[in-house]
Formats: sequence, C-alpha cells, structure tokens
Amino acid sequence: MTNDFSVLSFAIKNVKRRPLRTAMLVLAITLLTAVLVFALSFIYRVHASIQIMTSRLGADIIVVPTGSRGAAEDVLLENKVKSFYMDQDILEKVSKIDGIEKMTHQTYLVTLSSLCCSVPESLIIAFDQDSDFIMKPWLKGKIDRKLGKGESIVGHESSFNISVGLVEVDSVLFGNVFKMVGVLDKTGTGLDNAVFISDDNISDIVKNSDLPIKPGQVSIIFAKIKEGFSHRKVANAIEDSIIEVDAVTGKDIGRSIINTLRDISGIFSMTIALASILSIFLAWTVFSAVANERSQEVGIMRAVGAKESHVMGLFFIEVLLIGAVGSTAGIVFGTGLSVLLAKSFTILKNISSDLRAVERLAVAVIGFVAGTGICIIGALVPIRRIKKMEPLTAIKER
Amino acid sequence: MAQLQTDEVSMIYAIGGEQIIAVDKVSIAIEKGEFVSLVGHSGSGKTTLLSILGGIAKPSSGSVRFEGRDIYGLNSDGLSEYRSEKIGFMFQFASLLSVLTAKENLLLPVLFKPSRKDADGKLHEERAVELLNMVGLGDRINAYPSQLSGGQQRRVAIARAFMNDPELILADEPTGDLDEETEADMMRFFSDMNKAQGVTFILVTHNTELAGQAGRRMKMVHGKNEEQ
Repeated sequence: MTNDFSVLSFAIKNVKRRPLRTAMLVLAITLLTAVLVFALSFIYRVHASIQIMTSRLGADIIVVPTGSRGAAEDVLLENKVKSFYMDQDILEKVSKIDGIEKMTHQTYLVTLSSLCCSVPESLIIAFDQDSDFIMKPWLKGKIDRKLGKGESIVGHESSFNISVGLVEVDSVLFGNVFKMVGVLDKTGTGLDNAVFISDDNISDIVKNSDLPIKPGQVSIIFAKIKEGFSHRKVANAIEDSIIEVDAVTGKDIGRSIINTLRDISGIFSMTIALASILSIFLAWTVFSAVANERSQEVGIMRAVGAKESHVMGLFFIEVLLIGAVGSTAGIVFGTGLSVLLAKSFTILKNISSDLRAVERLAVAVIGFVAGTGICIIGALVPIRRIKKMEPLTAIKER
Repeated sequence: MAQLQTDEVSMIYAIGGEQIIAVDKVSIAIEKGEFVSLVGHSGSGKTTLLSILGGIAKPSSGSVRFEGRDIYGLNSDGLSEYRSEKIGFMFQFASLLSVLTAKENLLLPVLFKPSRKDADGKLHEERAVELLNMVGLGDRINAYPSQLSGGQQRRVAIARAFMNDPELILADEPTGDLDEETEADMMRFFSDMNKAQGVTFILVTHNTELAGQAGRRMKMVHGKNEEQ
C-alpha cells in the first residue's frame, strides 16, 4: 500500500480547484515572462553581436571617410552591402599619427547589377595581403598561401556560398572571372556575408566596371595602437589632423546602435514594469480570493495540528506551481517569439550572431526567477494574513 | 494531577461595542480516561469552551493546563504541536476538505509529520483505512466528500479525530447528522476507544440520552459551568 498523498499532491489539487482562475494567473505570468525573455534576448543579442564584432575585428581604431561611420557600422555589424571611398594618400597621413603601431586597409565593392556579376548582390572586400591583420586569423587553415589574382574566398554566411553550396567554382565579378578557393570560418561579424579578393584585382575591376571608385581609393583603414597610447586620444588626433576622415575606437563601434537599443530597452522596461504591476495585482487578487474561500479549511488544518509554517508552505507550493508553469510557458513563448520575429526587426535582421546556449539559459533563468518571483510577491500579503488567523476565527469564516 | 485543568477561564467578545461573555470564569478538572458530557442551550458557551480546551481559541483570562503545562504559555508552534499530539477534534459540522478523498482527509492531521508511520510503526495510510473500516466506510475510502452523504461525512470526520492517536477527544455534537442506529454505533465506538485505549472524551451534545451515557455530566449556563 503506497501513500501518494503528500503536501505537493495536496497543493496540486488546490491549484486545480478553480481552473479558469488559475489559468488567468498562469496566462498573466506567461505573458510577463514572454515579454521579459523576448526583450532580454533582443537586447542581449545586439549587445553580444557588437561585443563579438569588436573583439574579433582585431583593430583598435577604424578610419573611414567623413560621414561614413554609420555606413561602416552597417557593413561591420549588420552585414549590409554598402560602399564608401577615400583617397589612398590618407593611408600615409594616418600612418604619421603618433601612436599608430600598424595599419591595413580594405576596399568595399558592391555587386549591384547582374550585368556586372554572376553572383547575387554582395559585398566584395578587396584587402591588402601584405599589411593585413584583420583577415589573416580567419584565413589560417583555410588557405595557407596568399590569394592569387583572380582568386576569391567567401564568408561563412555569404549568400553566394549558400546558393552555390560548394567552392572551386568560377564566377564573374565586375567583368573579371574569379575562382572561389575557400570558405571562411564563421566570424560572427559582417565579414561572414562578404566575398574576399586581393586588392591586386582592383585596377582590373575599375577598368572593367562602372563602379564609382577611382584608382587608388580605399574604403576603410584598420589601425593597431601602440601600447601605452590612449585609443580615444589617437582617434581624436587622426580626426584633428585629417579633415576628410572619421576615426572610431573599437569601443565606440556600434554606439549608434547601442543608443537606439537604449531607447528600445526603455520601452521594454516600461512594458515589463506595467506587466509586472498587473501580474502582482492579479496574483494578489487571486490569492486574496483563495485565502477568503479557504479560511475555514486553514482553520481546520490548524486545529488538527498544522503549524503556521505548514500553511505558509502549502500556499507557497501552490504559488510556485502557478509561477513555474507560467514562467516556463513564458520562456518557451518568449524564446519562440525572439527566434520567429528576429527577421522582422531591422536591427536584428542583419546581425549574424545568435545567442549561445549558455546565454539562452541565462535569459531563461532570469525569466523563470522574475515570473515566479512576481507571483510570490503578489501572493505574499494574502498568505501572511491567513497564516496569522487564529484557528477558531478561521473556522468561523465560512 | 488532572489531565486537563482550567482555572477561571473566561472568553469575552466585543461585538459592536457590547461585551459578550461567552465563557465566564470556568474552572474544571478532568482526569485521564474520563468520559465527560457537556450540555447546555445554544449560545451557552459549550463550543467556545471546547475551543479553548483544544488550544484553538485563546481565552481572555484564566489558564488551561494539560498534564500540568499551561498550553497558552506555548508559542504558536507549541500550540500546534499540542493539538497535533494530544487532541482529536470533532467539529459541529463535518469539516472535511472538499478536494481530498475520505482517506486523504484522515491523513490531514499527519500530513506534515516527518514520519510516514505512527508510534506503533504502522503506516499512516494503513491506520487511515483501519479507522475508516471502524466507522463503517471501508468501501468509501477514495470517495470525495461530495460523493458522501451527510452522515458518512460525519463518520469520516469522527475517524479523522483518532488519526493522531490523541489523548483527548473534543467532540462538538459529533453525531448530529446521524440516524439513530449509526449514532448508537458511533457512541459504542467512542466508548470502546475510551475504555480500551484510555482516551479522554469531552462530548458536547443537546441529546440528554447521549449525555446520560457519559460517566460525568457538566452543563453550561450563560457561560458558567455547573456539575450535574
């Protein structure tokens, strides 16, 4: 003969008493947790993407043509296809700034028209193989030699790579035939969607295409700063001495997105705060009703020997059950929303990095604690009130 | 030393500015194993006195001693332990929890105990089934209160009072809803428990015949106690 009657089974029976009322509270906690999980996933993902990008970029400062900072961030953070150019003599001017340890440059070319190229719209990045320190870590193991003229390597997420599904194919870029000789490892940056060629090819491309680029122009300069120099001061010195450029430190890349994110976070925070207040109020209302309905039962329980802590414990298990079910459903719902709706948000659409499992777990834990915690806070006052009732008073309240 | 002793216990309620004396300086001493009946008109203070003796209503003044210990000198947990270990309650109403089956209602007094066995090493569940058999409800152990008649609910509540092997049963008109035959059965059951196990009974009743079966009769009149 087994005894399956326990405090937990008793609590489950109590929770099931009023299914509609319980469902309403579970739904409120679900929605609150879903909003929280969605918001955290959203914010976390953008932040993580910016952090990954800046840490993997390998440069302390980027230098772009004046007014092109946003476009550069679009390329580096959001995988957008954009081009901007500055004259090559700026390379020499930047190199003379005190504190610059080494630098390299890249040129962004956009395959705008199917007339020019045999690939879908893509960003073609021409890089200087001699000075490069941006691409080198990612090329290692993929191609242990320099890219030859007429050779290219594609980013991990490149639409061209995906559509072709293999390498070692010939394609036409700006009227020139290129052989694809490798696929880059996933970088988690805008580089994942680009096609890379050596800048030896630029003169031929300029000759054979209508691109708005003049011979010798570059798009972006990446610089490493000597130890002991302030990145911000060096960036300011570049901007002060070279009027044609904007210089952005690694930490400041994505600042405009972060500022936008701050506004979005504010809206999310307000929504979460309102949902929390509503949920607390609902939990308070539900458990006040529960306390009133069950005061006689509590009196009987106390009369047959249950302590105040036992009554509290039973009610808390009930609250935890409701909170746990609501929070879990909210986590599933919120995570699903964040995945499904990710492509609907411009800010997320082009960000290549997704949350890692451990980050998703952290968001889920926060969602669970918050959802369940809100339920407990709401139920606290009614439970404390009924706990303090003298047994006879509670029994008479029927 | 009396098992249960009260010393000028009073209970005064204030209702709308008016003071109601429900129990007025009652001093009684009840020995272990006594079977006491308590009679009196409605509102005479019987139920209030029973609640005071059972540790579920603190008196306005006076003291209640069980085996020499002042029960209202105990803190809330101590009082709960007193009720859990010493007292078996039978209320005026069936007092079953609607979401629990008959057997689960019996297990309620031992639900929060750390052990799943009683002092004799018997599983609480076995004891619950045994008690339900003793009150004639062995075939209704998994029935919910809504599936039981008023009389059957009463018998479940009676059985529950014995679940924790109490030393003192406080029964407030426990046979009110029962037919004559079942009432007689229950009274025999009480008598057996009283004689065989030495359980002390204080039985509140309006039924003078039932009261007459008790070894000692007391009467409440306007909150005061009179021995008969």
